[in-house]
Amino acid sequence: MAIGENEQTRTMSVTEIIAATHPDSEATHAAALVVIGSGPGGYTAAFRAADLGLDVVLIERYPVLGGVCLNVGCIPSKALLHAAKVIDEAEAMAEHGVTFGKPKIEAEKLRDWKDQVIAKLTGGLQTMAKQRKVRVLQGTAKFVSPNRLRLDNDETVQFEKCIIAAGSEPVMLPGLPDDPRIVDSTGALELAPIPKRLLVVGGGIIGLEMACVYSALGTDVSVVELMDTLMPGTDPDLLRPFLKIVRKRYETIMVSTKVTSMRATVPGIEVTFEGDKAPSVGVYDRVLVSVGRRANGDKLDAEKAGVNVDERGIINVDKQMRTNVPHIFAIGDLAGGPMLAHKATHEAKVAAEVAAGEKSYFDARGIPSVAYTDPEIAWVGLTELEAKENGIDYEKAQFPWAASGRALSLDRAEGFTKLLFDKKTERVLGGAVVGPNAGDLIAEIGLALEMGADASDISLSIHPHPTLSETVAFAAEAFEGTLTDLYIPKKRQSR
Amino acid sequence: MANTIDIVVPDLGDFDSVEIIEVLVAPGDKVAREDGLITLETDKASFDVPSPEEGVIESLTVTTGDTVSTGDVIGQMTIAFIDTVVIEPAVVDAPAAMIEPAGDTQVLTPLPVEQPGTGGKQTLVVPELGDFADVEIIEVHIASGDSVAVEDPLVTLETDKAAMDVPATAAGEILEVLVNVGDTVSKGTPLATIEAVAAAAHAEKPAPASTEAKQPAKTATPAPASPPSKPAAPPPAARALPSIDEAGFSKAHASPSVRKLARELGVNLVQVTGSGAKNRIVHDDVKAFVKAILTGQAAAPAAAGLPSVPSVDFAKFGEIDVQPLTRIQKISGPRLQASWINLPHVTQHDLADITELEARRQELKGPAKERGIGLTPLAFIMKACVSALAEFPKVNSSLSDDGDSLVYKKYCHLGFAADTDKGLVVPVIRDANKKDVYEIAGELGELSALAREGKLKLEQLQGATFTISSLGGIGGTAFTPIVNAPEVAILGVSRSSMQPVWNGSEFEPRLMLPLSFSYDHRVIDGAQAVRFTTFLGQALADVDALLQAIP
Repeated sequence: MAIGENEQTRTMSVTEIIAATHPDSEATHAAALVVIGSGPGGYTAAFRAADLGLDVVLIERYPVLGGVCLNVGCIPSKALLHAAKVIDEAEAMAEHGVTFGKPKIEAEKLRDWKDQVIAKLTGGLQTMAKQRKVRVLQGTAKFVSPNRLRLDNDETVQFEKCIIAAGSEPVMLPGLPDDPRIVDSTGALELAPIPKRLLVVGGGIIGLEMACVYSALGTDVSVVELMDTLMPGTDPDLLRPFLKIVRKRYETIMVSTKVTSMRATVPGIEVTFEGDKAPSVGVYDRVLVSVGRRANGDKLDAEKAGVNVDERGIINVDKQMRTNVPHIFAIGDLAGGPMLAHKATHEAKVAAEVAAGEKSYFDARGIPSVAYTDPEIAWVGLTELEAKENGIDYEKAQFPWAASGRALSLDRAEGFTKLLFDKKTERVLGGAVVGPNAGDLIAEIGLALEMGADASDISLSIHPHPTLSETVAFAAEAFEGTLTDLYIPKKRQSR
Repeated sequence: MANTIDIVVPDLGDFDSVEIIEVLVAPGDKVAREDGLITLETDKASFDVPSPEEGVIESLTVTTGDTVSTGDVIGQMTIAFIDTVVIEPAVVDAPAAMIEPAGDTQVLTPLPVEQPGTGGKQTLVVPELGDFADVEIIEVHIASGDSVAVEDPLVTLETDKAAMDVPATAAGEILEVLVNVGDTVSKGTPLATIEAVAAAAHAEKPAPASTEAKQPAKTATPAPASPPSKPAAPPPAARALPSIDEAGFSKAHASPSVRKLARELGVNLVQVTGSGAKNRIVHDDVKAFVKAILTGQAAAPAAAGLPSVPSVDFAKFGEIDVQPLTRIQKISGPRLQASWINLPHVTQHDLADITELEARRQELKGPAKERGIGLTPLAFIMKACVSALAEFPKVNSSLSDDGDSLVYKKYCHLGFAADTDKGLVVPVIRDANKKDVYEIAGELGELSALAREGKLKLEQLQGATFTISSLGGIGGTAFTPIVNAPEVAILGVSRSSMQPVWNGSEFEPRLMLPLSFSYDHRVIDGAQAVRFTTFLGQALADVDALLQAIP
């Protein structure tokens, strides 16, 4: 500790000396706060800091703001997932007497609509940056000293404080042939052309969401995952309803299977596998590699500012989002933890407020995770896997959607809502929802968790009928033994 | 066999020209080793200059009111070697030990490292220890994974003369600690392995700066209007987050906005009682908690820190000199504070008539001295305490850790506060109830001598059931001693004085000894306390009983 600080102090003073003796090396730009990256974390931090009165420069390497989330992540994928949902639901209604005929898919038009959604949002960001007098610079920034950045166009930015929000990038498997038919998540969102046969390498959330889109668009989808389960780390019960559906829809789902090689051939990408239940070889006209994302912490010459970056590209921070260098903050994907936009925005506000002199802390008790697959899977707070691993005594209460009028009227009875309670205090420790709109429903459980609500706090709040949100209250009633919408043999006296 | 030596003032630490307030011996007096010869008084404490040897005082060249400094000769004495006493090397060493530099812990000069400033794995070893070998490690300051700087203490060694820190000879990360407390080491014993940070690492740092320097005035456009405000790293203080019990905080029953408020105010929610439904902590609870502390209605939680004493830049007002606390002070300070904070202290003052006792003591002192025993008033007071403790066993007890029960001790080990130049220590006379007053007096003398030399063993400092702090040799009329917790009481003794005492028909001059009995009010109530001091007074008046041999 002492060593690092000494070095820090010494380097700073050299900088000061140079600044004093070389006035001609004045920077092109100067700011109280510079934010590197304009994804959900970066723009939130920049805007919040500007609202708190700081003079802010926001640096983005692409011509549009919004980062991965708006341009090549959350938003475009959700637009396409919406299309997928409409297609699937229309088809499903045929069984119940409403037939539309086979959908005609104009990929170009669909892509245009997706791009319009993006344009609307990113344009909105530009406007808001202007309104807040946040100066936006385009370029790739690297540190040259603890108080200066240089952009790839050689402009320099002298700053008092800095928030690093440079995000992450998809990991590509090594040794793949250079072929346009092998894509990452960004390429997969391009939809051009819609393939007949798609292999998704990596059964995580991103891969499975894209699998969902392409399956609805008529593609035969296969998924290959190295671990013994899809979405490793997710409670197995949450996966069951999802697997029941996708096993029927997808061509193959291979777990515990390794991709050993890929070869570009004229008919398609020839992929060889190694695994118990996997075919030895398959030919696909599109391969989506979604094996994870890597933090960009080590792409900024952060060491020149004295900022420590670990071997995974992650910059460690304290509860105020400060790095080891007190005037430099890191947020979002490169600051460790789940790589989620809503985590980044929350951290962004903490960092901006601390930079502006407020005593803010990242103090959330749960960060919701959502897979926007069909059905959606969402969870927040404690999971059963974590509880078992850490020996946390909990009680589970669950409400199956087969008993929900609304779920049945949506023709979607496969889902359920699950709550985990502290046995002693009866407070919510975590929860999960599987089924349509699970990502929206999880928010209530997140609020309950943050507020320290117990089972009766939830069940005594009147939930509108008939909605899927009722299932959260029903799960709490199941815990209390007061549930009437389902007969659960009494294990306890009602509380 | 006899030999005449100079009596020299030992090392007085930081003091110079210290006043003699009392001369305790006269030429011709026989003195034992460690007997007080003269009493010196600094502005901090008074203490006796002990006799370096057993023998007879030949001459004294100083009187009360004179001032002396380290090394001054104050007289001569003839050393008598009685019978065939073994001439211990320690006898010769003793004065030498006293002129060691002040300060409790010496820092050993590090052995030169073979390749100073190089990085990589290195082994840190024990440097030159002088004449010592097989020295015990009393403290290990490092653990694997720790970062250390050059000169950071690795371990503390204790020889019979002094404790000393072994400093790191290289900076870096400790890979493995190779020794434990209690191990004995000698010069060259490996202490730890370290992944040393090369000193050259510093030289790399200017690189980014020089890159910046080389950067030509390429910046076509001049900087915008306002130049950057100073490249300001916030003050380091801003860095330190309030220490919060995160595990507990994360379970507190409080909403996000209440948690935010608590974070801002540095309140550890674990300590806040919620007033909302189901003990939910609401905003007002956090505010009330802070208010209670600010107005002193509630004890500030230890974790959140006590309201602190204002920090003053003393150098602003004149020249200063900063001296580190001694090791004993560093250890005893927090323990005293813990007792002061945790125990509801009450002090009962009383006077004991020791006229007869003192008369008898004067009679017996001479013969006792011939047996090598300094029959001090403290020995009698201890003896009286033994019977008082037998009468009031609660005073000899301790509270259990959970505070739910009292632990009565069937033994009686008496501690006595000894003021040494390195700080306050409390040596313990074991099983005082099984010893007569001569045995106690003899042991008092031995333990006091050991305390002054810093040679007390751990077991001689442990296990006390009750403590006596006697300042009577110095003065005072009363004071409020701090209980040596987990003991539940302490007896303070001030200087006795002749006072007129009404005997029913007239005032009579009586030698009265002031007693100040501090106790833990959770265990002892006021009536018991005053019964205890009354009993003690009666015991001190009954000198025959005190002198009774232990069967």
